[in-house]
Amino acid sequence: MTQIIWNGLFVGSFYALVALGYSMVYGIMKLLNFAHGDLYMLGAFIGFALLTSFSGFTATLSLVALLVVLLLSMVGTGLAGVAIERIAYRPLRSAPRLSLLITAVGASFALEYGMRIIAGPNPQVYPVRLGGSSVHVLGARIGVAQLVLIGVAIALMVTLNAMVMRSRQGRAMRAIALDPVAARLMGVDVNRVIAQAFFIGSALAGAAGVMAGSYYGSINFLMGFIIGLKAFTAAVIGGIGSFKGAMLGGVVLGLLESFGTHFLGGQWRDVFAFAFLILFLTVRPTGLLGERVTERV
Amino acid sequence: MRKTKLAVALVAVSTLALSGCQGVFGGSDKSGSDGPITLGMAIPMSGSSSAIGPYMKNGAQLAVDEINAKGGVLGRKLKLNVQDGACDPKTASTAANKLVAAGVTMSIGGYCSSATLPTLSVFNKANIPMIIPAANSADLVSQHLPNVFLINGTGVQQAQSAVTWLTKQQAKRVALVDDSTSYSTDITKRTKADIAKAGGSMKTVLHESVNAGESDYSSNVHDIVSARPDFVYWTGYYQEGGLIIRQLRQAGYKGKVMVADGSVDGKLISVAGQSTAQGVYATMTETPDTMPGAGDWIASYKKKFGAEPGPYSPQSYDAVRVAAKAMKDAKSTDGKKIEAALMKIDGFPLFSGKLKFTADHTLTEGGFVILEVKGAKFTLADDLKN
Repeated sequence: MTQIIWNGLFVGSFYALVALGYSMVYGIMKLLNFAHGDLYMLGAFIGFALLTSFSGFTATLSLVALLVVLLLSMVGTGLAGVAIERIAYRPLRSAPRLSLLITAVGASFALEYGMRIIAGPNPQVYPVRLGGSSVHVLGARIGVAQLVLIGVAIALMVTLNAMVMRSRQGRAMRAIALDPVAARLMGVDVNRVIAQAFFIGSALAGAAGVMAGSYYGSINFLMGFIIGLKAFTAAVIGGIGSFKGAMLGGVVLGLLESFGTHFLGGQWRDVFAFAFLILFLTVRPTGLLGERVTERV
Repeated sequence: MRKTKLAVALVAVSTLALSGCQGVFGGSDKSGSDGPITLGMAIPMSGSSSAIGPYMKNGAQLAVDEINAKGGVLGRKLKLNVQDGACDPKTASTAANKLVAAGVTMSIGGYCSSATLPTLSVFNKANIPMIIPAANSADLVSQHLPNVFLINGTGVQQAQSAVTWLTKQQAKRVALVDDSTSYSTDITKRTKADIAKAGGSMKTVLHESVNAGESDYSSNVHDIVSARPDFVYWTGYYQEGGLIIRQLRQAGYKGKVMVADGSVDGKLISVAGQSTAQGVYATMTETPDTMPGAGDWIASYKKKFGAEPGPYSPQSYDAVRVAAKAMKDAKSTDGKKIEAALMKIDGFPLFSGKLKFTADHTLTEGGFVILEVKGAKFTLADDLKN
């Protein structure tokens, strides 16, 4: 039982990290960024490229090297996110929301198949693998590497939360989320702030990608697709647009899948996860922590 | 004004359509007399199994080039026409229709069984013989279409070899894990039935399915370990296989692991981690790596494509050679004559052994062997001949 809970929490922390970016972009622009899962894939590949090119000294200081690679990949995916926003979304900002959604799907495919051209269709294997020892807690087997990864994920989420709640940029983001026109009238550079939000959200997805790559070891150009859907589900379950909701949603989804697999069998895992998405959308569309949106006429 | 435009458009469209038809007929006329003989290949170049397509294409291309260098077939050169089947039934039927329209003489493609199935009737209607190098679900031959030939052992033979090996290894508690695809569940179901038939102290303690394409299988792995098997048989493909083997070992599983032919690739070992993958068994049709004297073939493949051959490169290579042999024997490019010639082939050397088709158009000898991971390679552990 503890093992099932632990498995769920571990997977859930990845979902949460990716869901945060989803939620952030949705909160500010009301855009479901379908390319977000592919930024996770992009992060994993940037990390892979960095690690293979510096393979000389990764062998000796693998954990330190991995952290540096993590940061560099975050910057890389962050910039890619900004570029996508600039090229694909900004020109359409005043267009109907459906056009944005379709563009997002296009951006997602462009990233996936662009990566296939660059890196080939085969799965790639990470040169640095986190394995190592494990500890037993209440009958569950918990890997030290897993603990480190969860630690990094929590640190990233806490930092982001502090940034959005305390800093000037954070306040500007919240202002735009509330009312972009009024925010602009108050002197907020909307384009700049949206670009920042894209940078941060994409960087988090990239971080999750590098972490998944170094833990599971295998990456491929389509790896972002399913996690993108799962992160979206997590964001909806938690309440899309809300930070704490995204984190909670990720963990809840991880646990749901873990228990679903145990009781129903592995082939039911996705059915179970997405059935919950439908259930939430019908019963509580604002999610667990979502605020009620009042439409003013 | 608008009417004239419409009329012009209509004329343009109908001329195009007519010339298109002429193109098709002209094409097939041409392939009936001189010009290159085209071999069609609907294989996954994109989608979930896109890794396999290039391996198969290269394998086939190697054979085509070798045959052309020796003067081709019936005095004509061979040509390969590859269409993307994407491991998806709909895309694969479109691909098959494109190949028929392009006037191919034979089809030598087919990897995913579920995607190959709908192409059977397309080729059958067009009187085009198919030599399927990789797809091996029993569903492919159950319709008894005259144009369908498999040169890979089927799930029936694979399951039999698996159970033979399990019995030899004195397995007691077997866990069967598949990835819910037609190919994979076919093998687990048959293995389960064969284990029940074999009786004795061996039994299936768990039959689990996973979803392909994810990275975390810890929940499935937890179930597998909880069932306390001493043998786990994974019948899906190598990417998930590598992850599952690694996660099984991380979860403390100490028993033996075996994989089916879809997982036999060096990538399985690198994904699982070399030390983790040691001692993993596999049921596999014979490959160049496990055959003595195939070094030359691997060398010429590497020289041409700058990479190692992958899964089903040799089978695709064989498919072209069988196709060429049948056309030579038939002295014709007519579908019916080629089919008759295929049935008469006896003892043609394939990588998997000597070729002779059964009444079902499958191999007489399944040619499955047991491989074992040693170091960074799959090596022959047992040929199951005795």
